[in-house]
Amino acid sequence: MEQPRIGVYICECGINISATVDVNAVAEIASKLPGVVVARVYKYMCSEPGQKMIAEDIRNLGLNRVVVASCTPRMHELTFQRVLEAAGLNPYYFEMANIREHVSWVTKDRKEATEKAKRLVQAAVMRVAFHQPLEPRREPVTKAALVVGGGIAGIQAALSIADAGYPVYLVEREPSIGGHMAQLDKTFPTLDCST
Amino acid sequence: MMDAGRHPNITLLTYSEVEDVSGYIGNFTVRVRKKARSVREEVCTGCGICQEKCPVKVVDTGFEAGMGKRKAIYRPFAQAIPNVPVIDRENCLWFTKGRCRACEKLCPAGAIDYEQQDQILELKVGAIVVATGFAMWDPRKLPQYSYGLSPNIITGLQFERLTSAGGPTGGEILTAEGKKPERVAIIHCVGSRDVNAHPYCSRICCMYSLKHAHQVREKTGAEVYEFYMDMRAFGKAYEEFYERVQEDGVIFVRGRGAEVEVLPNGKLRVKGEDANLGRLVFVDVDMVILATAIEPQPDADRVAALFRLGRTPDGWFAEAHPKLRPVETATAGIFLAGACQGPRDIPDTVAHAEAAAMEVVKLFNLGEVVISPTVAVVNEAACVGCGECILACPYSAIARNIRGKAEVNPALCQGCGTCAATCPSHAITALHFTDQEIVAQIDGLLERAML
Repeated sequence: MEQPRIGVYICECGINISATVDVNAVAEIASKLPGVVVARVYKYMCSEPGQKMIAEDIRNLGLNRVVVASCTPRMHELTFQRVLEAAGLNPYYFEMANIREHVSWVTKDRKEATEKAKRLVQAAVMRVAFHQPLEPRREPVTKAALVVGGGIAGIQAALSIADAGYPVYLVEREPSIGGHMAQLDKTFPTLDCST
Repeated sequence: MMDAGRHPNITLLTYSEVEDVSGYIGNFTVRVRKKARSVREEVCTGCGICQEKCPVKVVDTGFEAGMGKRKAIYRPFAQAIPNVPVIDRENCLWFTKGRCRACEKLCPAGAIDYEQQDQILELKVGAIVVATGFAMWDPRKLPQYSYGLSPNIITGLQFERLTSAGGPTGGEILTAEGKKPERVAIIHCVGSRDVNAHPYCSRICCMYSLKHAHQVREKTGAEVYEFYMDMRAFGKAYEEFYERVQEDGVIFVRGRGAEVEVLPNGKLRVKGEDANLGRLVFVDVDMVILATAIEPQPDADRVAALFRLGRTPDGWFAEAHPKLRPVETATAGIFLAGACQGPRDIPDTVAHAEAAAMEVVKLFNLGEVVISPTVAVVNEAACVGCGECILACPYSAIARNIRGKAEVNPALCQGCGTCAATCPSHAITALHFTDQEIVAQIDGLLERAML
C-alpha cells in the first residue's frame, strides 16, 4: 500500500461547530496523527474557498487521502467527493467525521464536545488510510415509465413523460381514469370545471 | 383526462392492478393484472345501450359516493376514459343467478364477453411513479357527528356530487326530501387536527368548504353557518376567495363544530363553541356538510411493500427528504406524485407530479444509471454456498450462480452489509466497509493514547 498522505479539514460551520468544539485543538491533535500531512480549520469548508483549499492541498502537498470533519455526510459527502475527483483523486479516498449533528448540536459541555470531536476525527483518519479506490458501475436504462394511479397526479406525470417522448404505461385500478378529480364539481379558487 | 386517453405515448391500463415489481432503477419488471371487464374493449363502441337496458340498479358507492345509483353494467361517469363499460360481477344477474343476458342480446357491436378472463401483463420499465392518491376518512368513526343517522348529514365529497350538473340531482342542491335547504351548516376539521382521528391538517378542507358555502349561497340562498377552528387560506388567490365568500353573506363561527343531533322532526341541531363569543352555540339546520379528512389509501401497506416505500408516522408514503428530495423515495427509480405522499390540493398536486415526471425524464435522457460501488462482493474460494446471505439480504440482491456460490447483483445491492455480517465463512466483503476499515475506525474512537 502506498504511504498515506492525509489532509484533515475541520469546519467551523459559522459558529454551529466552533461555539461548542475547540476546533483549533482538534486540528492540532489531527496534525500529529500518523499519515497526516496537513490539518486546517476553516469557517465554511463547503464554501467555494473551502473546497479550493482542499483541491490546492491535494495538488501542492501530494495528498492521497482526505478527511473532512463537519456536518452529516448526508449533507455534503458528495460535495467533497467531487472535490477529490476534480483534483484527480479517487472519490472513495475520502472520509467524513460528523462533528455537528453528532457533537456540537447535541453536546453542551465544550470540553466533552471537543474530546468527542477529537476521537471522531482520529477514527476517520485511521479508517481513511485503509480506503481503496472504487469505480461506480454504469447500467443502461429502459426508457419507458410506469405510472400507478390515474388521478390528477398520475395523469399529469404521465402526460409530461409522454410529451417528453417516452412511452408510459398508466395503470388505474378503477374502470376509468380521473380519480377523485372526476367526482368534483367546480374547483377553488377559480371555480373552473374539474374534468 | 382526454389528453391522457389519446396520447400516442400513453398506454392506458384501466381496471388493472400492479401485482409484482422486481428489478432496480433503469430495469424494473412489473406484473400487472388486467381484470376482466366482461366487455371487449377493442369492439365496444361506447354507445351505452347495455347500461340503459340493464335491469339491475345498485347504490353507487364509488363515483356517486352513495348519492346516486348505477347499473350492474356501467361506465362510472359520462366522460369516462376509456368509454367502455364494465360488468360488476357481484351484482350482475347472469353472474349471480345465471339469467338475463340482456346486454349481450342488445349490444349492437357484440362486445359483451361473459367468459373474459383476467390477463397478466409483464412490463419492462426504467422508472416508476407512484400516484395512488388518498382515501376519504369515514366520519362514522366519530359518532358525535351522527353521520349515517340522517341522509341530510353528508360529507364534502357527497356534496360535490349533489352540486355537480352530472350528479344525481342534476346539480340542484336538495335535501333528501327533495327540498331546497333553508339553513346549512358546514363543519371544518372533521377527522383532521383531532387526536382522536388524524392529528394532521388535511390542507384541502378549508378551501373546499368555502367553495361549498359559496355554491350553497349562490344556488339556494340558504343561510350558511360555517364552523371553523382556523381558516387556512394559504395558497395563491385563496385569501381573496375567502374574502369573496365572506361577502356572499356566509356566517362564520370560529370554533369546532362539536356535535350534530338529529331532532325528532328530522331537523339537525349543530352544537359548537363560538370562541369569539366565549360560549356554546346551537343552530338548527336542514343540511350538514362535514369537511372530512383525507387519509392514506386503505391498501397503502400492500402498495408500500410492493414498491419498497417507507412511510411517515402519519401513514403517507415517505419522500427521500422533506425539503430537498420531495418526489424521490428510499428506492432509486421509484418516485412519488401527489397526495399519496401527503395531503395536497390540485395546484400542489400538479406541481408535485411535474417534479416526479422531471426525475423520470432526467433519468431517461441520461440513458444510463450510475450504480454506487459500495456493494458486497463474494470471495468464491471461501463461499460454501450455504445460502445464509440469500435469506439475510433485505433487497433480494443475492442468488446462487451456476457454480453454486453466492453472487451479489451490484445493481440491487444497497451496501447495507447484512450479508457480510451473516456469512459464517467470512466470504463476503462490503466494499468501503471492510473489516479492516471498521476495526481501524473503532480503534481510533477508543484509542486514548493519541489524544
